[in-house]
Amino acid sequence: MNTEASPACPFPYRGPPELQKSIVSALKLVVDPEVALSIVDLGLVYGVEIDAEKARVTMTMTSAACPVTDVITEDVEAELERVLPAGSWIEVDLVWEPAWTPELMSDSARRFMG
Amino acid sequence: MRSRPAVTTVLVLLVAASLLAAVGGGLLRAGANWPMLQGRAIVAQAAGMHAALMLSGFLGMVIAVERAVAVRLRWAFAAPVAAGLASAALLVGRFEVAAALGIIAALVSVAVHLVVLQHQRASHTALLLLASCAWLVGNVLFAFGHGPADALPWWFALPVLTIAAERLEMTRLTRRHALALPILLTIVAMLLAGAALSPLGAGGVMLFGGALMALALWFGTFDIARRTLFAQGLPRYMAVCLLAGYAWLALAGLAWMGMALGCPGRDLALHALGLGFIFSMVMGHAPVILPAVLRVKLHFGSWFCLPLLALHGSLLIRVFGGMLQPDLRTAGAELNAAALLLFAVTLIISAALWRSRKGS
Repeated sequence: MNTEASPACPFPYRGPPELQKSIVSALKLVVDPEVALSIVDLGLVYGVEIDAEKARVTMTMTSAACPVTDVITEDVEAELERVLPAGSWIEVDLVWEPAWTPELMSDSARRFMG
Repeated sequence: MRSRPAVTTVLVLLVAASLLAAVGGGLLRAGANWPMLQGRAIVAQAAGMHAALMLSGFLGMVIAVERAVAVRLRWAFAAPVAAGLASAALLVGRFEVAAALGIIAALVSVAVHLVVLQHQRASHTALLLLASCAWLVGNVLFAFGHGPADALPWWFALPVLTIAAERLEMTRLTRRHALALPILLTIVAMLLAGAALSPLGAGGVMLFGGALMALALWFGTFDIARRTLFAQGLPRYMAVCLLAGYAWLALAGLAWMGMALGCPGRDLALHALGLGFIFSMVMGHAPVILPAVLRVKLHFGSWFCLPLLALHGSLLIRVFGGMLQPDLRTAGAELNAAALLLFAVTLIISAALWRSRKGS
């Protein structure tokens, strides 16, 4: 059974509702090492879709020149592996459209950065 | 995990060789009297080519590797490999080969940055492209016999503009002042004009120094390090590296302007910029960049502050002690090298610690 995200979800979510909370928590553990903010708080996660075959995360980066991209996408895979059923196929799609803007940051992240 | 074992091994060897040669040559220039440095043609060559090895070789490679990893394109690794081979060719006295490889490295880097700009049209990616163009100008001047002195401001522009671009990108996370970008672009124009005019006289040198000084003030005003200083752990350590670096950048700008007025202090101008500013950034970013590039995780701890303290302390001895007593300049340079060695050891121990903790 798939449902759209509840209003509390910080990104568009399509998948089993019982997994939503743990997916959000897992992605909040993936942190940009320079600013100590999670990819969820930075607004880098554009969406998560989970069906019977796989989990697909669509996300972006603040900079296309950032070499840490692979580390972050691998962290995403590692954190999701912990909360998804064993053997789930995880795919992280890195996209540049729509471009990331500071408006996508969470209120708490904006308060921290000033 | 996307591994690139063969390329990684070659790059690590070339980066290490460029840095070792640059440091060895620098020590000889600073008057170090170590038996291992004396009477060796390769060290004498390294001393003569210190700036080329350190700026175009080591830093050129490191920046090119960062970008190659970011764009995930195999051909992008040609830039750091060519820059590393250029360093090797310089050391064995094959100037023409080194010059050609240096130009190839910078041309590939310009192409890589065009790809980055295509992915993301933003002011910081355009600035990164400009930095790689400055590297190209420096390497072309060097190749056509203008010598390290004329190439020097362009070579410095590569890391300085790269850092400026990366910090500009980070300011997007804050409510950036409307004037921050236009002011930075004015400073960049000053810096490039200063680099172009430096061979013609004191005016260009003054402009370059003024741009460095203005850039330090820009960082001090707009950079997020003032906020991340109040975070914990790695972000705080990085903020300390950045803020200490900005202080040295301001001093480098002053010293550079002093040079234009005929004051002594060339060592201060070059090394406040190269070691105080640029290497402080390298130390700050290495714990983040190395895991991305080498696929080695590090266990971060407060011990990272030791080599950082050693770098800045030894630089103070070198530039201020050296003004009072020439021997202190040499001792300071030796301690600079020791600080870099301590940093390398810190990285190795931190990688081992992460492995042992993961295994336990």
